[in-house]
Amino acid sequence: MRIIKSLSLLVLVLVLCMVLIPSVSAHRVQLRELISEVEIKAWYGGGDPMPNADVEIYSIRDEQEKLYLEGKTDENGLYYFAPELGTTSYRVVVELTGHKGELEFDLTAGSQPENAELPLYLSVLVGFGFLAGIGGIAAYLSARKMKAQ
Amino acid sequence: MVHISDGILAPWIWGSGWVITAAILAYTLSKMKIDDVPKISVITAAVFVASLIHFQAGPTSVHLILSGFAGVTLGILAYPCIFIAVVMQAFLFQHGGVTTIGINTVNMGVPALISFLIFKAGMKLNVGISKNEILFGAIAGGTAVALAVLLLAVELLVTGEEFTEVTTFVVAAHIPVILVEAIFTGVIAGFFAIVKPEMLSIKKRL
Repeated sequence: MRIIKSLSLLVLVLVLCMVLIPSVSAHRVQLRELISEVEIKAWYGGGDPMPNADVEIYSIRDEQEKLYLEGKTDENGLYYFAPELGTTSYRVVVELTGHKGELEFDLTAGSQPENAELPLYLSVLVGFGFLAGIGGIAAYLSARKMKAQ
Repeated sequence: MVHISDGILAPWIWGSGWVITAAILAYTLSKMKIDDVPKISVITAAVFVASLIHFQAGPTSVHLILSGFAGVTLGILAYPCIFIAVVMQAFLFQHGGVTTIGINTVNMGVPALISFLIFKAGMKLNVGISKNEILFGAIAGGTAVALAVLLLAVELLVTGEEFTEVTTFVVAAHIPVILVEAIFTGVIAGFFAIVKPEMLSIKKRL
């Protein structure tokens, strides 16, 4: 009788162990990345933000484009939106009274650095270079004309 | 602000901008002498970088245009000057668009021509002050910006922008620019009249 009692206790303990094992192994840590918000920043050349501008977000899927969201930038020229499930390619158009900018991007590709353009002082120098060249050629031609006379 | 980007205006508007610009360019360039070119280059350099001088005006960002200054110094040759400046701003600063170079030149160049006419008429008047250049330079400078903004506003309205948006964002925001350019053009015209009268398009008749 004692043996049966202790045996049944053993069985009970084993059964409990079996029940508990899966729950122990379920402590594996699971991770999943999910981009829940995309920030769009709009600013003018020179760095001033573009507040209150109309924003249109187009989602691109299988090279098919459709209007996904419409809105306005906040006072810092920022606009946030949640991406559509399963769509990673977007085209963004920001427009405000004659100013318009466009950006096409893919969420999996990462963000482009902000200053991909030629530095401003270089653009200015290039411009001055052109004008100095035009002016110089003209000055040369008019000097030659004067000499010929 | 007065530079319109690509893809905003209806094609017939920017198309006619090119036609008008081509016509005025052909006429003004036919009047140009080779000796004028160095002076045009110098003024164009100023107009070209003027658009970088920008400041926050209310809800939007505005910048100097200097079309009145070009009109006062270059006369009708202000038009090719503005054209070159707009082309360089479009390609070097991505300011405005490429298809809109024509219409942007109209928006700034035609007011420059009108400011020249104002300045020219003013030089003939006797208003009882010693420096007509300052007064009419200022009027020409301010008028040029006001007209440019007006043209821009009309084009945006025709394209279908909302009236309140256009008036507050475009017209109201440019009031400080009008004042700044009026003062600048007046002062510089008075300065040139004393120091280097050949820099002005018209000499005062004494």
